[in-house]
Amino acid sequence: MLPALLLLILFLLSPEAWAQAEVAATEASTESGNLWFDTSRTAELIAVLGFGLLVVIFVQQARRGMDFFIRPIPGLEAIEEAVGRATEMGRPILYCPGLESMDEVATVASMNILGQVARRVAEYETPLKVPNRDPIVMTVAQEVVRDAYNTAGRPDLYQAENIYYSTYSQFGYAANVCGMMIRERPATNFYFGRFYAESLILAETGNMTGAIQIAGTDADAQLPFFITACDYTLIGEELYAGSVYLSREPLLMGALRAQDFAKVAILVLLIGGSILSFAGIVDVAAWFPG
Amino acid sequence: MKQVAPLVFGFFVGMIMLLQYFVPQPPNPTNFFGDFLNSSYSTFLDWKQIVFGMTLILGVISLVRHHSTKVRRKERDWFYSLVALIGFVIMVIAPVVQGTTEEGIYGWFFDYVQAPMQATMFALLAFYVASASYRAFRARSLQAALLLIAGIIVMLGRVPLGDVIAVPIGGGDVYSLADLANFVLDVPNLAAKRGILIGVGLGVTATALKILLGIERTYLGKGA
Amino acid sequence: MSGFETFVEKMMWIERRWLYLLVAIAVAVPVLKPIGLPVKPNQETRDFLAALDELESGDVIVFSFDYEPNTGAELDPMSRVVWDYCFEKGVKIVALTLYPGGVGNAENVMNPIAEKYGKTYGEDYVFLGFNTDWSGTMLRMGESFKLTYPADQYGTATSEIPLLAEADSYADTPLLISVASSQFAEYWAIWAGGKFGQKVITGNTAVQAILVYPYYQAGQISGFLGGLKGAAELEYLTNRPGDAMRGMDSQTTGHTLMVLFILLGNVAFFLQRMRKEKAA
Repeated sequence: MLPALLLLILFLLSPEAWAQAEVAATEASTESGNLWFDTSRTAELIAVLGFGLLVVIFVQQARRGMDFFIRPIPGLEAIEEAVGRATEMGRPILYCPGLESMDEVATVASMNILGQVARRVAEYETPLKVPNRDPIVMTVAQEVVRDAYNTAGRPDLYQAENIYYSTYSQFGYAANVCGMMIRERPATNFYFGRFYAESLILAETGNMTGAIQIAGTDADAQLPFFITACDYTLIGEELYAGSVYLSREPLLMGALRAQDFAKVAILVLLIGGSILSFAGIVDVAAWFPG
Repeated sequence: MKQVAPLVFGFFVGMIMLLQYFVPQPPNPTNFFGDFLNSSYSTFLDWKQIVFGMTLILGVISLVRHHSTKVRRKERDWFYSLVALIGFVIMVIAPVVQGTTEEGIYGWFFDYVQAPMQATMFALLAFYVASASYRAFRARSLQAALLLIAGIIVMLGRVPLGDVIAVPIGGGDVYSLADLANFVLDVPNLAAKRGILIGVGLGVTATALKILLGIERTYLGKGA
Repeated sequence: MSGFETFVEKMMWIERRWLYLLVAIAVAVPVLKPIGLPVKPNQETRDFLAALDELESGDVIVFSFDYEPNTGAELDPMSRVVWDYCFEKGVKIVALTLYPGGVGNAENVMNPIAEKYGKTYGEDYVFLGFNTDWSGTMLRMGESFKLTYPADQYGTATSEIPLLAEADSYADTPLLISVASSQFAEYWAIWAGGKFGQKVITGNTAVQAILVYPYYQAGQISGFLGGLKGAAELEYLTNRPGDAMRGMDSQTTGHTLMVLFILLGNVAFFLQRMRKEKAA
């Protein structure tokens, strides 16, 4: 009921909708064809529906208590040790959430991992510094860390000024973070999210300061840099799986399982499609226009 | 209500954006529902820009607070924070007063301070790539050796030297290191890249669905 | 241990600063004393130019400066050649940037070239400036440039700009060019190209260029320039020698030095391993 009400209110408030409705009345189109559905996007619709169905099925299974296996990810196993090391050395921990905004999955995954890191940090009472390049991410990071500190029973340790906005400039951000590394010498550096050319500058500076470094990104062009300069690196989808791995949240594990099944389906489609196309039986590529 | 309202709103906006993708473009005026989706979609995009603009203000507040606190408390290296604050004030006020012309203060700071400083940071990459590759690019295993060889081919093949290093392959054709580098980029690189793209694409779709279904709540500030 | 082995052993633990010094020398010397290595354009660059060649005088295109001063040395040469080439052909340009710092780069590229060809602002080209929220900007421009940007960079209402009366959405622009230091190039292809059918070509930093290949092979990006080499190839093809062609010598010596570093590091690594095996 509520969505329908919101829908109606929004529509009534939308001047463009009125304008377009007026156009509809005066310029009734005589165009033929499907008015409701763009048929060139049938393949995408089938894929979305199929994948959505998989997610729903596995989430339901997870709700019913089915246990899913996730292979060990060494980089995430090392988080506990890395936080402990910073505590022993009496130095802060640096967490970089990448350069992108909340509409990037890497950033969403990064925020999930930040929550888990912050929970451990709160238990160890170690300062956590989170410089941000995106103001929306900063706001979310503040909420995530505050929530983690509350969950850990240490709301008194939360300091909003440690999760701060740096700059929107890519290399301005790199300069800020590198400067912070040189001045404050964090013992542990985490880089989780979407990074670009600044990745090596950050990781190599951290390497020079002797910090233990754990990175994770889906930006494949930056992976070699992180692998070279960091102690552990989460590659591509490992980043997405990271938060699920740490939290063991059943619903999220269900969605992860669905991703694996979808991958199998795509592999079957790729191999089967290639064979059918090569044999000249069916041109599978024609199913995917554009 | 504090929890439910954003979830409902997220679902509603997400569904509009999703459904709109499947409605014919440009909208057919006789399709009332399609029109509604398209106009709502436009409205949301406008809102998104406005909301992002507003959050920049939050960022500015955070930036000023972070550095001014350091200066006020005379924390270690507070001078750098003072420089950041002065730079911030100049780059905000100057274009308002004089515009962004090259002759103004903003233009001068852009050309002679901001541009060289940013270029310097980017140029550091050349040095860091050298030290990182020297330290870590070792043929410790077969896979590492293959990566090493591919890396060397691409590094030399993507500069004019790659065109100079060439061997005749008969019939008057010459195969250069640049051609080999292009092969590495076009075939093995692309195969791996597509594999990662498929994984990333599924991750994106899964996250979108999780947000729509209310399973993923990070955007509400709730970590997993 | 032979003298060579001692040297290699010492090199294995060489301090970073000496490597930095060698890199600086390798890059700086060709700038002062050019070698003049030949430039051979590849297919991606030829396709990029072919897309420009398809344009006719009077066509309006979109050009997005998706970079900031940090990558200006690599990307400004691309922008300069494209603007010069388009203005010479009589192509009109709607420009924008998705980075706040990109405004300066855009103005430094556009203004001198517009002056050179006597182009009128607002009629032959327009600069919409920076807009917050890049994804919203890309999508919204598919419906209306004027609604996405109510005013241009200089505060003029876009409804009063003659060029935008000619072209107000991707449907009116046969080509979009993104010169980008980040994944914005791919996003233009996904959103402006995938959703609105806009033809897209891109210029990318060398690091980002490898990411463009899947889109290029799939035809979602019709051509692209990969790093400074791509820019040099375009300069060569359009007979506009500039910074990129001059930079090719430095890039060659820099890359060669890095390959030498890697080889030396590996020789040291294997010598050390052999010695350890012998001792065991």
